[in-house]
Amino acid sequence: MRRAGAAVALLVVLAGGIAPAVATESAAGRKDPARAITSQLICPCSCGEILSGCTCDTGKAMQGFVTDALKTGKGKDQIVASLVAKYGEVIRGAPKAEGFNLIVWIAPFVATVIGFFIAAFVLRRWVGRRRVTAGGPVGGGLIGAPTTADQDLARLRARAEAELKRMGE
Amino acid sequence: MSEIGRLAIILGFACSCYAVLSIAWGLRTGMAGPLKSGRRAVWIVCGLTLLATIVLERALVARDFSYRYVAEHTSLDLPPYYAASALWAGQEGSLLLWLLILSSYGAAFLWCYRKRFDPFYDAVAMVVATVMIFFTGLLTFVCSPFRILATPPADGNGLNPLLQDPGMMIHPPILYTGYVGFIIPFAFGIAVLLMNRTGTRWIEEVRRWTLFNWMFLGFGVLLGARWAYIELGWGGYWGWDPVENASLMPWLVGTAFLHSVMIEQRRGMLKTWNVALIVLTFELSIFGTFLTRSGVLTSVHSFAESDIGPWFLGFILISSTAATALILYRKVLLESENRMDAVVSREGSFLFNNVLFVALTFATFLGTTFPVISEAVTGEKISVSAPFFNRVNVPIALALLLLTGIGPVLSWKRATASVLKRNFILPIFVGVLATLVGIPFGLHGVYPIVCVAGAAFVLATIVMEFARGIQARKDTEPAAPPMAMVHLVQKNKRRYGGYIVHFGVVMIFVGVLGSSVFQKEAHAPLKPGESLAIGPYSLTLRGVEEKQIKNAMQTRAAVDVSQGGKRLQTMHPSKAFYSKSQQPMTEVALRPTPAEDLYLILGGVNDDGSVSIQAYINPLVSLVWLGGIVMVFGTLIALSDRMRLKREEKLLG
Repeated sequence: MRRAGAAVALLVVLAGGIAPAVATESAAGRKDPARAITSQLICPCSCGEILSGCTCDTGKAMQGFVTDALKTGKGKDQIVASLVAKYGEVIRGAPKAEGFNLIVWIAPFVATVIGFFIAAFVLRRWVGRRRVTAGGPVGGGLIGAPTTADQDLARLRARAEAELKRMGE
Repeated sequence: MSEIGRLAIILGFACSCYAVLSIAWGLRTGMAGPLKSGRRAVWIVCGLTLLATIVLERALVARDFSYRYVAEHTSLDLPPYYAASALWAGQEGSLLLWLLILSSYGAAFLWCYRKRFDPFYDAVAMVVATVMIFFTGLLTFVCSPFRILATPPADGNGLNPLLQDPGMMIHPPILYTGYVGFIIPFAFGIAVLLMNRTGTRWIEEVRRWTLFNWMFLGFGVLLGARWAYIELGWGGYWGWDPVENASLMPWLVGTAFLHSVMIEQRRGMLKTWNVALIVLTFELSIFGTFLTRSGVLTSVHSFAESDIGPWFLGFILISSTAATALILYRKVLLESENRMDAVVSREGSFLFNNVLFVALTFATFLGTTFPVISEAVTGEKISVSAPFFNRVNVPIALALLLLTGIGPVLSWKRATASVLKRNFILPIFVGVLATLVGIPFGLHGVYPIVCVAGAAFVLATIVMEFARGIQARKDTEPAAPPMAMVHLVQKNKRRYGGYIVHFGVVMIFVGVLGSSVFQKEAHAPLKPGESLAIGPYSLTLRGVEEKQIKNAMQTRAAVDVSQGGKRLQTMHPSKAFYSKSQQPMTEVALRPTPAEDLYLILGGVNDDGSVSIQAYINPLVSLVWLGGIVMVFGTLIALSDRMRLKREEKLLG
């Protein structure tokens, strides 16, 4: 038990160590306003890269545009709007959450919630049935066909018998 | 020679058709002869495909430009090893590789079960042969790699520069081994339905095949990420590109299956769900190939686009409809044998874990295909890229991380209050502690906090499980802790192999968190002698040189890296201009350390003679690669549980 305790203590230290190792880098992290904009846009040329990491000529020109626009005091929305006006909606890395595009934003979460509801409903039903059938045989399986549980039980019995036999020898 | 290749594929098509018909006849009549003959035909397809591949490889290495495929994808200045890897550079060659791996799986399957004279295994082989008909048919009638040019050119077009990377010599075959391998679990699932088979024996077999493919697919995905990190030169390794997503989706559903299959093994439940997951995994593998090959979506990973998309789409529609119809037809066969004892149990947590895996797959699928759907409906072109996936997928992935810790420490059937208390208090404490320690160091934002807390929580549960196991073994077998741990793993490889895989997952999560949220970037045009500061490093441009390398002209910068006034090393970010393809390629310079990578990109030489240098510090990115290796290691341990299975078989006679 003492050893398990020591392992746990070591674990606490290790786990505690993850956070500072990660966090020390964060303070000076993402403070670049140009990057905040370019990381949300896509280069409109055929390279298809996220603008912040794009090194093609079109990408570099757009990065320059964003930096210059920020210097003139323009806000993020204004800069993005002017780029979208020039290149089209295709440069947004994530579609605007309006109209038909709302589907792509909402559907994953709705599907997850529905999935959870179905899982919860199925679980409740199964647990409920278990209570009703408690005392009687559990599950029926296929008529005339051995069930998985039956087969497992038979296998375990055979194994136990074989081991007993071996011990007796 | 091309006739030999072409003939081999045509004969392969004929043999695949024969295998299906012969086995179907044998299954219907119960005659052993047709079954045996059908099995042999599967072997022959494998041999013929190997012959066709050798013919094409010979032509590639010899640069026989009379082959259209060779002329399109190689050139005289291409090193021989890259010429050999051009097999998967184009459409036709990739499909031939697909078929080679597929038929090899068919042959390997028959070899593994050569001593089992059960028609069930013939049915599995029949399903594999049916899929082989599709691929041999494509290579025979739609896109043959053995087409000959009337007037061969003096030199070929050359290989796409992006593919001229050592990683690309192993990444596609490994990825394909995972992708294609899902044919075996799929064939098992279909055979179970066709043959009206019950029992847990096939489930154990399918689990092992799935685990094997899952490991290869996961490793292939990670190799692809590593390739993108080094070769694409944008500072990251995962951009939620359609092709990346296509490889991730079957892996996610395969992971869901590997969890839910445990419920079927233990409790005889979720049978319909498991078969549905097997089918979905295989269909997503085909969908991945469709995405890569069809050119429907723009991708940085699409190297071979053609008009075979409709064939793949047709195959997906037919096979998924047939599989769904079969599942519905055999509904009774798939009824659960047991009922759940309690919601709070391992079964319950696995069920919710499955919901999250499928939700993550759905979100990825929808996001990947939405540009096409949206354009069809609204007529407007849009993009769905990393900014979308980071917002939608990350919360679901974090919920999965938490379940990674919760599931394994819940008991089967019912987790009592005392079990919950015993198993969760310490991990929750560790998670909270890690967060509290991190906050003063600048940890902020909901996702990073949840990620750190979740990672620490999962790590705590894993260490706790190992500590308890060692403690329990200590009573029966006194040994030093390291040896006790080895013995513990040896005694239950599946369980502890799984924990090691989970440990790898935690490492990847922490690596992704560190390298994305805490990434630093700096860029500037530099003239020789000028410096750029990033984090603790000072980067000074020493000079730029141009030189001819193999088949490209390279522009190479020499950048001195120093820290605190002490010179560490000289890094050489470069750009290579490939004359054949007239394409520039970025070659990043890396200074990897366990704590962080210093990553330099040469943007180009400007008109004023200055050089654009882009620098990144990617903290903890090494954990992503190391985590992948740990996952492979854990999977290998879980796979080596074969001995126990054999012992059980022996006992049962």
